[in-house]
Amino acid sequence: MSDMQQNQITELDNAQEMRSEDTLEFTTFYYNDHMFGLPIDEVIEINRALDVTPVPLAPDYVAGVVNLRGQILTAINLAKRLGLHSEPEQDKEVSHNNVITGNREEPISLLVQKIGDVISVPKSQIEPPPDTIAGVDRSYVKFVCKLPDNLLMVLDKEALERAQGEN
Amino acid sequence: MEQDPENSELIKSIFRTVHTIKGTAGFFGFTTLEGIAHFSEDILSKVRDGLVRVDEDITTILLQSVDYIKAILASLEQHGKEPDDIEYLDFIVELRNFAEKLTKGGEEQGDTDSKEAAEQVEEVKEAEQEPEQAEAEEKEAESKDEKQPPASAQEGSTGKAEPPKETSTPDTSKAASRPKPKKIAAPAAHLTETHVRVDVHLLDKLMNLAGELVLSRNRLVQIAAQLSDPELITANQRMSLVVTDLQEQIMKTRMQPIGNVFNKFPRIVRDLSRSANKQVQLRIEGAETELDRSIIEVIKDPLTHMVRNSVDHGIEGPEIRIQKEKPAIGTLVMRAYHEGGQVIIEIQDDGAGIDPEKVKAKAIEKGVISAEQAASISDREALMLIFQPGFSTAEQVTNISGRGVGMDVVKTNIEKLGGTVELNSEKGMGTTVRIKIPLTLAIIPALIVRSGGQRYAIPQVNLVELVRLSPEAMEKNVQVIGDSEFYRLRGQILPLIRLNRVLKCECDRDEHEKGLNIVVLNSGDRLFGLVVDSINDSEEIVVKPLGNHLKHISCYAGTTLMGDGRVALILDVVGIASTLNLRAEDSKRQTTLVSDKLSGEDERQFLLLFTIAENEYFALPLALVNRLDKVSLSDIEIVGGKEVIQFRGHSMPVIRLENCLPISPLPEQDHYHLIIFHMNEKDIAFLVSRIDDSLDTSVEVEDEAFNQDGILGSAILKDRTTLFLDVFNIIQIYDPDFFTVPKVATDHQARILIAEDSSFYRNLLCSYLEAAGYEVMAAEDGQEALEILEKEEIDLLITDIEMPRMNGFELTKAVRNHDRLKDLPVIAVTSLSGEDDRRRGVEAGVNDYQPKLDRDQVLNAVHNLLGDSEMQQAA
Repeated sequence: MSDMQQNQITELDNAQEMRSEDTLEFTTFYYNDHMFGLPIDEVIEINRALDVTPVPLAPDYVAGVVNLRGQILTAINLAKRLGLHSEPEQDKEVSHNNVITGNREEPISLLVQKIGDVISVPKSQIEPPPDTIAGVDRSYVKFVCKLPDNLLMVLDKEALERAQGEN
Repeated sequence: MEQDPENSELIKSIFRTVHTIKGTAGFFGFTTLEGIAHFSEDILSKVRDGLVRVDEDITTILLQSVDYIKAILASLEQHGKEPDDIEYLDFIVELRNFAEKLTKGGEEQGDTDSKEAAEQVEEVKEAEQEPEQAEAEEKEAESKDEKQPPASAQEGSTGKAEPPKETSTPDTSKAASRPKPKKIAAPAAHLTETHVRVDVHLLDKLMNLAGELVLSRNRLVQIAAQLSDPELITANQRMSLVVTDLQEQIMKTRMQPIGNVFNKFPRIVRDLSRSANKQVQLRIEGAETELDRSIIEVIKDPLTHMVRNSVDHGIEGPEIRIQKEKPAIGTLVMRAYHEGGQVIIEIQDDGAGIDPEKVKAKAIEKGVISAEQAASISDREALMLIFQPGFSTAEQVTNISGRGVGMDVVKTNIEKLGGTVELNSEKGMGTTVRIKIPLTLAIIPALIVRSGGQRYAIPQVNLVELVRLSPEAMEKNVQVIGDSEFYRLRGQILPLIRLNRVLKCECDRDEHEKGLNIVVLNSGDRLFGLVVDSINDSEEIVVKPLGNHLKHISCYAGTTLMGDGRVALILDVVGIASTLNLRAEDSKRQTTLVSDKLSGEDERQFLLLFTIAENEYFALPLALVNRLDKVSLSDIEIVGGKEVIQFRGHSMPVIRLENCLPISPLPEQDHYHLIIFHMNEKDIAFLVSRIDDSLDTSVEVEDEAFNQDGILGSAILKDRTTLFLDVFNIIQIYDPDFFTVPKVATDHQARILIAEDSSFYRNLLCSYLEAAGYEVMAAEDGQEALEILEKEEIDLLITDIEMPRMNGFELTKAVRNHDRLKDLPVIAVTSLSGEDDRRRGVEAGVNDYQPKLDRDQVLNAVHNLLGDSEMQQAA
């Protein structure tokens, strides 16, 4: 574990210290068997009632734009952004599960297949991602935690927000 | 403080403040204000110097002064000038008298007891705050009002007459002063509270939310209507009104009076007129007209430019004006007002006006238009020429205007805002420039269209007109050159862009078979037609930016919300125009077809003009061209001794014309232009140094002078001798097998007779028909054709419509009525077909009707009619 990552974890800890000494809370969501999470304070809201308007010519991973109370957000198909294999039918299926994250000036909406629970994870279980994760672009994964029956991948909000070409 | 009634520091500070007010007011010519401040200062100075002790009377009068000063400031703020009210003058008199009295009886009055004095000072302290505030505001007010005419002369003289002595000092007696200031100060207090600094982002957010509220309201209204509960409907209506009002008010927060810009102009005009030795009086009307802050920023420069023009070129010097029996002082009016949801700004001068003839002459000299065009345009059109790039009417370039940035820049800037510029001028009477600009940029009118199942908004600013083509009209008037489609709209060639294709969506086939919906758009100075699936409605939309991930897509200008809460993308017309198949630079030339109305003949053709070596000009029919492109020298490869470039995944041969024609060779350049042809299923290109222009014209081509393969003839175009190239012939010279059609099954070579009066077209038709392997005979008119038909064995007749002696229709009728010839296939060809001609052709009995320049179509028709199926496939 590099120093930098260690620091990031410490920061994460500090942010959540008020809630709990030893655990971090994550909003979780799924795509096929993969379980993803974002720290709960990075999620602005979860909305299942947004219509996605497709944007022709947009990068492949952009599903379109959504209207969140007058603010127009870019909707990102999480599976495509992470390089997961997805079926066209699945794309339709995901379009109603919006996880709104990012900064409040310009949030983004992640389209996910299924929204899970908020879970608490002891911070001792949080690790930097392994060098390879099957089927997932590692650059978007900040940490992983091994849960009893699954691997939780904690996404990197900043990486998701960045437009292609800015990387 | 109470212990120190004569706190000199406090009094000194008040004194300084009042002094500042006096000074500033004097500087800006607010005489009433100055007067009050002056006398207040007088009194204060005595108090400061210890000549008098502060007592109740002094305090009262000083507080009154403060109140009056505030009232004057309020008035400045609201009306931009000092109040004329006699009350103020009375007060000045009172103040003066009081100050005089003080001077005389200073000592007697000095014995107020210390308790009283203490109270007074307390008040003083309070009052002190106010002048300071007032001062700050005054500055603000003044910067705004700088240009207002100074207070009336009457006021001025009164002020001077009574300069002596009132002074405002904070008052002493609590009892006496308190009630009074409250009364008078009421408007003043209001004044200070009317201005709150608010973050623009906050306003934007508020506007967003208000917009969203409107949408929610709309949904509620629908639901209420469905439920038809009277109580709900009433409640809803009430909310509706409030929401609408709220939105309007929030919009207003972005508004500023145009006076903020206009106020700069008295100074500008004064300086300009002085340096030009002219006398100009500026009148400003409607300075209170409000418009969006962002627009105000942008119109500053165009306005300055136009005012400069008016002073510099419009208004004459005093001597000339007097000769013309006009007042020596010229008048320039800047006027702003609302009209139909737009703001109109007029700049009007009573100067010399603009002489359309001069403008034309200048335009010809500058090469903006040709002499022929000049003769045909109206005076009004001539005036609009000054908005053309590279135009300046000033006969002499002065140091004020005429430095190369002309009215075209003004026009461009205004158009960027979605505005328009109009010019009216009467020679000798003056000029009026009218600018129309939208109230705000945040809300724009837009046309909603549908394509690929999605809605898109097109800013109304770019919209020229809507055209609906029936399938028949489509077939007739839409021409395809390579990948590009063109529609002939009232004599102009309009490139068509299919939105579905630009956006790479699936197109709705059925829609297009039912006809075409064309939205004619203006991007910069060229028009194009955007083909959409359907056209919905026009709406006012709120522009919202696109997110980070999408910003780079040039086809979108932003997003907006529709009434149902869904998002629609706003199309960027300029961005879409740039996806036009033809490179922007060339396509402008290609599509801005200058209508040369040289003769009444309707035999018009679209020509592409280009250059190979300097001073040798060439033309070929535009309709033959598949596309124009650019290529850099390094892209040209040599394969098998021939030059080729990569094009659409194939090697395309490029022809250097000097190898086929006796002309000067192509100079070495880094980049060449390509004229690409698609013929006989193959691409081939000419390499040229420059594409000059395209021209819609009717010319008489002289074919006598050049008896040379590959050249059809020559003509004078734009005062230059231009060679007309025979594209088919050149390609054949280059590659004799180019047109060879595999499996030409010809036991019997078909004989085709061409009846065509124009030698240019006759040669062209012969050239490509012969290239396709037919035996071709030619006749110059219908009469001659009929004679040949009677003598010779002919398999097919191709006839022009307009011909001397016997036209195409008459010829066809004659053929149909002829015993032997009545079954002869006839193809009518025309330069551009009209519905009327087509109908007449069918009535006369032609078998097919084709544009004569479309080689492939004509050949196809020939093959079809000759029943030669193999040939047909090959072509």
